[in-house]
Amino acid sequence: MSGRTVALSDLLGRVVRDADGRKIGRIEELNAEISLEQGGSDYLVTGFSVGRFGPFDVIATGNFVQQLVRRITRATGYRRYEIPWDCMDLSDPARPRALRREHELPRAG
Amino acid sequence: MGALHLSHDVIDAQLVDRQQEKIGRIDELLLELEDGQPPRVATIVIGGVARARRVGRWMLALHRAVHALFGHREEQESRVPFDAVRRIGDTIELDVEGDTLASMRLERWLATHIVLRIPGGSGERK
Amino acid sequence: MKKWAEVALGVVTSIGGFLEVGSIATSAQGGAEFGYQLAWVLVLGTMSLAILMEMTGRLAAVSQRTYADLLRERFGYRFFLLPLVAVFVVSLLVVISEIGGVSIALQIATGIDFRWWAIPTAIVGWFLLWRGNFTIVEQGTAMLGLVAISFAVGALKLHPVWPTLGRAMLPSLPSHDRARYWYLAVSILGASISPYLYLFYSAGAIEDEWTIEHLGVNRVTAGMGNVFGGGLAIATLVTAALVLAPREIKVDRYEQIALVLATPLGRAGLVFFIMTLFITCFGATLEIVLAMAYLLAQGLGWNWSENLKPDKDARFATSYSVLILLAALPIAIGMDPLTLTNISMVATAASLPVTVIPLFVLMNDGDLLNTHVNGWPSNLALVVIALLSIVLLVAALPLQLLGGG
Repeated sequence: MSGRTVALSDLLGRVVRDADGRKIGRIEELNAEISLEQGGSDYLVTGFSVGRFGPFDVIATGNFVQQLVRRITRATGYRRYEIPWDCMDLSDPARPRALRREHELPRAG
Repeated sequence: MGALHLSHDVIDAQLVDRQQEKIGRIDELLLELEDGQPPRVATIVIGGVARARRVGRWMLALHRAVHALFGHREEQESRVPFDAVRRIGDTIELDVEGDTLASMRLERWLATHIVLRIPGGSGERK
Repeated sequence: MKKWAEVALGVVTSIGGFLEVGSIATSAQGGAEFGYQLAWVLVLGTMSLAILMEMTGRLAAVSQRTYADLLRERFGYRFFLLPLVAVFVVSLLVVISEIGGVSIALQIATGIDFRWWAIPTAIVGWFLLWRGNFTIVEQGTAMLGLVAISFAVGALKLHPVWPTLGRAMLPSLPSHDRARYWYLAVSILGASISPYLYLFYSAGAIEDEWTIEHLGVNRVTAGMGNVFGGGLAIATLVTAALVLAPREIKVDRYEQIALVLATPLGRAGLVFFIMTLFITCFGATLEIVLAMAYLLAQGLGWNWSENLKPDKDARFATSYSVLILLAALPIAIGMDPLTLTNISMVATAASLPVTVIPLFVLMNDGDLLNTHVNGWPSNLALVVIALLSIVLLVAALPLQLLGGG
């Protein structure tokens, strides 16, 4: 059980593929919650928000373009998946992989 | 309690110390990954190297070159465990003394060597 | 009662702050070469600036963070570098021109070559920033800047043809020298809509501890202040149209602009011109250098405030000190102030997208602004300004080459 350290910036914007190797979007956000068990007070990542920007995906690697696109267009196929931490394989942080197929992944409202 | 959004609310947020003084921004967040465990939000990094790294390899090289020019040998980066966070709001409050942070070295150096040598540099509120 | 005093002060601040070397030079050139015709560009520029300032002011008052803070927080460090570098490069060009304006004013007044005045100006300016607080800097220069009203007085004494001026407030196409016309239009817009203005305004809202209660003050200050300030720029254009255009004097030195006040107001006009040039450019120097230091400090998370003694915000204080002294050097070695002014105005116009487009995202962020997000009219205005900024970016270089004279 090796502990690896990864920088948040190295995860944000990364392309996420599903169990079949299909590209499903980019990591937009990591959601964490405080875990009070065993007297600890650590923030643990509970899930990843992965966004798919349709035709804009190519340029939507950065925060700014993502937000701009989200503000302007609802109808360009923008979709967001909420992937729980245990469904994400980060053994290679540069190539995150979801452990389910795309249609099995929970979507955000 | 609710969810903490690391990109939206944490990284790049303004940090303040115990005295509510501004001590920089969160330039990077380090997560600890362990098999079978959720990733843990472990460390706050404050410093120019972390910022340069986020931009790209070329920026990092430029940053190192500039600092080599100035002959900086001491560490200018601070790593603060995330459990030093006391409060998260518009700013993130850390349970540290700003004066002890390596990332505040430039501020301290300028204050003592330059500012205080020039009349009017210190005293009561303006 | 106190609120009204604040409002009045805010309006005065904006009036005094509007006219500076860029507005004076571009309005005078516009009037000298095209009569009243370019007045509509000043109207467009003034309205755009008023809208941008109201928004960055509202942003600060409601979210309790400056526009620069939010450029870093909401978009990340990587994106932040874009507006940082763009604003720094452009603002540096402008502040060098402002020191040029002060130096020329002193040259006209004393006969001593302008190059000698650059560094003393920077030192005096530095001293005021070092020892003064925000109120002194903001209100002092604004009050003194009211001397710019002499342009309005001069314009009235020259009996402008009001119907023609009125028609010129609407867009029109040039009948001659098309490239030159549009070049001047772009420079006038760059002089009117300067990023340092709305960045400084946003920081000022936090320095003055504005809250949601100040939203009305914000609207009036941003609106009326700029309307009056824009009016002074139009007055400058009118005086140039009535004094320089008939004599076919094309402005290529600042001394020629003195004529537009000396003609209607005689000896006093010359004195007022010198004072206006000196005071407004000096005030702008302080404001721009502070705006740059604010942007750097806020983006990097340093401690900052013009109300703090420098030892409490050493990096911030060092930044504005280095910047103001650096800005004096090109003038000290003899670079031509008017040429620099013209280039810096076009460069400013071209730089607008990186500070206008992110504002669109922020002004619609409910987490930041709650119920004070933009309504559809504000968004429409902002989108128009954003599109305008993109047009300016594309047109700037070609026009500089074709119409830069």
